[in-house]
Order: sequence, then structure tokens, then C-alpha cells
Amino acid sequence: MSIAVKTLSLKQREARFGRVLIAPAVIIIAALIFYPILYQMYMSFFDVKLLDRSVFVGFENYREILTDSSFWKAVFTTAVYVFFTVAGTTLTGLGVALLMNRDFPLRGLVRSLILLPYVAPVISVVYAWKQIFDPVNGIFMHLTVEKLHLFDERFNLIGSPDSALWIAIIFSIWKNFPFTYLMILSRLQAVDTSLYEAAEIDGAGGWQKFKAITLPEVYFVMGALILLRIIWNFFKFEDIYLLADNVKVLSIYTYFKAFVGTMELGTGAALAILQFSLLVLLILFYVKRVLKW
Amino acid sequence: MKKIILTFMIILLVSMIMITGCAKEEKAAVGPVEIEFWTTETQSDRMSTIQVLVDSFQIMYPEITIKLIPVDENDMPTQINAAAAAGTLPAIIECAAENAVAFGSEGFLDSAAATALINEIGADKFYAGTLKLNSSGSGEYYGIPYHGWVQGLWYRADWFEEAGLNPPSTWKDIEKAAKYFYKPDENKYGILVGTKDEAYAEQCFTQFAMSNNASLFDKNGKLIFNSPEMKETIEFYSKIAKYNPPGPQTWRARDYYLQGKMAMFFYSTYIMDDLALQEVAAGSLTSENFKDLAGSDFNPELVEHTRLASIITNKSPAGFGVVVSLAMPNQGDPAKTAAAKKFLRYLYTPNAYITWLHMAPGGMNPVLKEIAVNERFQNDPKGIFKHYGKEKMAEIIQGLDKIETFSIVEGNRIAAASKIYSQQIIPQMLYKITQEGMNVDSAMKWAEGEMNKLAE
Repeated sequence: MSIAVKTLSLKQREARFGRVLIAPAVIIIAALIFYPILYQMYMSFFDVKLLDRSVFVGFENYREILTDSSFWKAVFTTAVYVFFTVAGTTLTGLGVALLMNRDFPLRGLVRSLILLPYVAPVISVVYAWKQIFDPVNGIFMHLTVEKLHLFDERFNLIGSPDSALWIAIIFSIWKNFPFTYLMILSRLQAVDTSLYEAAEIDGAGGWQKFKAITLPEVYFVMGALILLRIIWNFFKFEDIYLLADNVKVLSIYTYFKAFVGTMELGTGAALAILQFSLLVLLILFYVKRVLKW
Repeated sequence: MKKIILTFMIILLVSMIMITGCAKEEKAAVGPVEIEFWTTETQSDRMSTIQVLVDSFQIMYPEITIKLIPVDENDMPTQINAAAAAGTLPAIIECAAENAVAFGSEGFLDSAAATALINEIGADKFYAGTLKLNSSGSGEYYGIPYHGWVQGLWYRADWFEEAGLNPPSTWKDIEKAAKYFYKPDENKYGILVGTKDEAYAEQCFTQFAMSNNASLFDKNGKLIFNSPEMKETIEFYSKIAKYNPPGPQTWRARDYYLQGKMAMFFYSTYIMDDLALQEVAAGSLTSENFKDLAGSDFNPELVEHTRLASIITNKSPAGFGVVVSLAMPNQGDPAKTAAAKKFLRYLYTPNAYITWLHMAPGGMNPVLKEIAVNERFQNDPKGIFKHYGKEKMAEIIQGLDKIETFSIVEGNRIAAASKIYSQQIIPQMLYKITQEGMNVDSAMKWAEGEMNKLAE
């Protein structure tokens, strides 16, 4: 043995040392990430019973989910939610970043104020929204119905199933656009101003400057932001659950299936796996087509 | 300070019992017995009050030692099953009546001892509904009801009087009043019934269903949800839900009543302190912050103008609430059972009983009729009941007389009914009808399908 150790080259020894160094991290990740994922997959093939032996059911959980129309409704709701929140967050972030990139008095103050919705805790913001839009006591109905007469009667903007999804979308955009704005702004500030000067000399207008210089410069930042936002919003739970739990996006749907009432943990596990697979497909498509990696 | 109060309470209780009840009871000449008492009152202040009761009992009966053990309500079934398997069942448990029936039908409880004790106290002294919930279906009782809360329709008696309307205790009167007081232009609403898919909706709905003789199951456990009575109830419920504040609503909307923006709302007796105590109510209002919002000032006279219709009638009178019972698991040792019985008998003596009930005024109401009108009971430490007065208090607690639930049918506990409750199928159905505009027939068909899945 001792001879074998001695014959290791420096490179091999370094490699071995490296493996030892990363071992703790690998073990932690394996225990806290890979094990739960694998166990979840395993569980999705069982009718899980909390106090009894679980029964192997094969693909029954999956079959049950895929033939359930409420699942497909949840997929559709999630698609609408993700599409509009991602588009809204990105476009609002871009617009505000362009605006904040110009010089004006008190710019520093305004720039930091814009970050407020992003840094405020979700729970307090949600309750503020609920107060504002409360159908009986809220200031919004008071203003729009009694003061401005925009609507004939009071209604429940957050609660009603017709409007709840859109309120959840607007809430998400409002809450998250500052992050997008911050990232895009920092990229914008790194753009060489001489490019714009050169374009002006060539007689380019505002739109042309934006299309030919700004957009290509921020393209990859935006691409990465959109990717992150898709991942985050696809699994979004707390914002929606706290604000309007009748918006049944996939994560809320899974939560109610798995943990509320008679707990269907096997079905819940299968749902989570399906949700995960859907997201992986989406990301693969996005990375190939949009980011062209 | 706390110690002084506790000692004082012990002395007071002991001396009162010595004077009143004790003289009649002969002291058993058995050797020392140790029994366990599992209580679901796990909060530490409640535990110490019960400990005071235990201590004063032990002074009178030094040969009996009672170990007080707190068990979370939700853990009770698991714990009881485990204890039964290990042969270590406690001598006394405090649990919801539904659980007592469940444990009883599994054969864990000494129903003969419970029935004997009820007869000793006098079955006619109890509110009938509370006994019915503990019935084994064959003339015996699994548990002895101890306290409970009642739900009903709280309403503005002054508004009703002014409008010349009858109290809202029948379907017809409820609908008439809800319609009359529904004035969305003035930001005032007729009634609050649950329309969000939460347990509250089912609690409101159950009382209507019971008053129309509509059940989920028959006594053999057969699903009889799809009945003309049930359909009629659902149609009526969705009709009065139109007089709700806008959108899906749940119990939180009771604030609108406290603000004078609503005429009636379903709630349990737990609302009593909110109504009576200004500082408690003010805490859940926003009037200080929004002075110019119309009608949001706290009204200290609200309690004077509020009454409760605890029983609703259409085809038959029905109440709704939760009854908590005391039960005696099988001991296999007559001395232990005798000791348990003695302690329970003591818990029903007025002083011990009232001390217990005052742990949660409004939430814990007596199941013995004579206690409901007892002076000492009405003089609770927070001073809540005196706002209501003797007559109104009796009227409120009266609801216990007709209390019913979907999950106990003629002494049979229907397990599937509890599952349906926890899956919130009825609230979801009501949400679909009232908020998503689904028609009653297809919503009922959907609900029946879901219920069948659970009953499988």
C-alpha cells in the first residue's frame, strides 16, 4: 500500500486531496437534495399510508392525475400565471431601468425607493393589499365606487375567482420587477456611452439606438433573468397562497392534494415529479432556443 | 401573587365542597389508588386551574391520587390507540364527543360507568342534544358531556325591531331579513354565511341541512347526500348567500358586523367576548386608523342590541356546535373506575364546574341547565356574561339542546362523514355554486362523486 501511495504523481495526489475537500459538500447535497428527490420519486409509486404499510400501485397515481381535469386546469392556470408574470416583470423592469438610467434630481433616492416592494416581507405586503382591496372596508372600493363612481357597486377584487388570478399576477409583477430593474440597470450602466454618441452622429433615432445598441447589450442579462423568473414563478407558492388561495396553480393544487384534508401523499409526490418534469422540459426548450447555449 | 390566588382558590373550593356535597358521600375504605386524567386543555393557565381542582379533590379523598396529563386534541386518537395496545389506558379522558363515540365503538370505554354517572346526576338535567351526541345507540352513553360551544345566527335585535321583523330562527324569516337589510349602495349587508371553501362554510351549512332533515348518511353508513331535502338546502343556502358581502367570505367578515355594516352572521359563542369587551373588539377593528370610513366606529352598545338565534327551524329545529365530553376508558380494576367516577361526580358539583367553565367564558358553556342560570356562573372573571344577562345567556346556551352533526347518526359514528368534512367537499361545492356560478345539479353531482371516492 505504502508503495502505491508514493508512486502517485503530484497531479493525482492533488486530485485525491480535492475529492476529500469536496466530500462534505457532496454528502450534504446528497442527503438534503438527492435523497429527498429520489425518495419522492419512490413515493410517487405508492399509495402512502401514514400509520400503515404503503401499498405499491405502479403508475396509478400518475394515471389518476393525468385523467383529472382539475390537474389540467391547474397546468393552464400555471401557464397563464408564469407567462404574464415573467413578461410583466421583465418589461416593467426594463422600462424602469431605462428611465432610471437618465439623469434627474434625487435619482439616488428614487432608485432605492423602487426597491421597496422587493425587500418588504411578503406577509406584510399581502395583508396590506388585502386591506386595500377589502370589498367593504378597503380604500380602493371607497375611492372607485363612492368617490370617483368608476364602478356601480362594490366587489371583491382579490377573492372573486374571475379576478383573483389577475390580481395574483399584478401582485407578482409589482413585487418582483425591482429585482429585474436592478439587474438590467447595472448592465445598462456598463454600456459605453460612446456607442450612443457614434449612433447619434450616424443620425439614429431613439428607437434605433435602443434596438441596435441597448437591446443587444442587455439581451443576455434579460435572458438569464427570464430563465430565473420562470423557475421561481413556476414553483411560486407563498405569494399566491397568502393572497388568494383560490388561484389553483400547480404548487397550490399539489399542496391541497398532499396536505389538506385526507392527505394523499403518493399523489402529491407524483404531482411534484410531474411539475418538476414540466419545468425541466420548459428550461431545455428555453435554453436551446432563446439563450442559444 | 399567582400562588396566593391558587392557594386561596383551593381553600375556597375545599371549604365549599365540605359544606355542601361532602356530608352526603361516604368515604370509601379502599387502599390508595392512582389514576390518570388526560385533558385536552393543554394551555398552561388552564392546566393550573384544573390542577387546583385536582388538588382540592385530593384533600377530600387522600387515598386517591390523580395524575393530570395534557394531550393535544389532534393526538388523542393516536394516543388512546397506543395506550389501549399497551394496556395503559387512563382512567379519565376529556375529548370531543365525536371522539368519545369513536373510542366507545372501538370498545375502549366503560359505557356502563358513564351511563350510571349520568343517571346519578340526572339525565333530564342535561341539555338533550349533548347527551344524544354521546349515545351508543342502544340506550347507553359512551361519554358524559361536560362543556361545549354553540353556533347560531347573531343578529341586530334593534334593527329587527325597528323594521318589524321576526327573529331569524326560521328559513322564511332569515331570508326575509337578509333581503331587507341587504343595501350594498350603503355598504350594508344582510347576512354572513360561509362561501369560501373553508370549514366555516360547512359549519353554517350543517345547521341549515339539519333543520331540513337532510343528512349525508343513514345510520347504516349509506351515502344519502343526493336527496330532495339536501338539494332544497343547497338552493336555499345559495339564495341567502347573495345577501353576503361581495365575493367569497369566511368567518373573518364578522368584523363587518362589529362595525355595524351587517345585520346577521353565523358564529360560535366564542364571539361573546368580542361583542362585550370594547378593548378586545377595538383590537380587531380599524376605525382608529380610518376615521372617515362610514360606520366603522366601535359601538359599545352593540352587545345590548345583539341576540343569538341558536336554533334554526325549517322542517325540524336544529342547533350546531361542539360538545366536549368526559369518558372513562376500561380499567379492569373496579377501584380505579370507582375513583374516576368519584372525581367526575366532583367535577359536576357547581363550584368545581363553574371554576372549570370560567377558564374560557363563551367558549365553554355548561351542559347542565341549572348551571346556565346560576348566579356564580354568570359572574365570570372577565365580566363578559353580565353584559348579556341571565335570560339571554340561557337563550344562547339553549342551542345545546338541539345540537346535531353529520357524523353521528343514531349513535353510529360515520367515519366517512369526518373524511368528507376534512376534505372540505361541501365548502368546495358551495364555493362552486355561489362564486363560480355552477348550477346546483352539476355541483351536487360533482360533490357526490367526490364523496363516493372517499367512502370507497
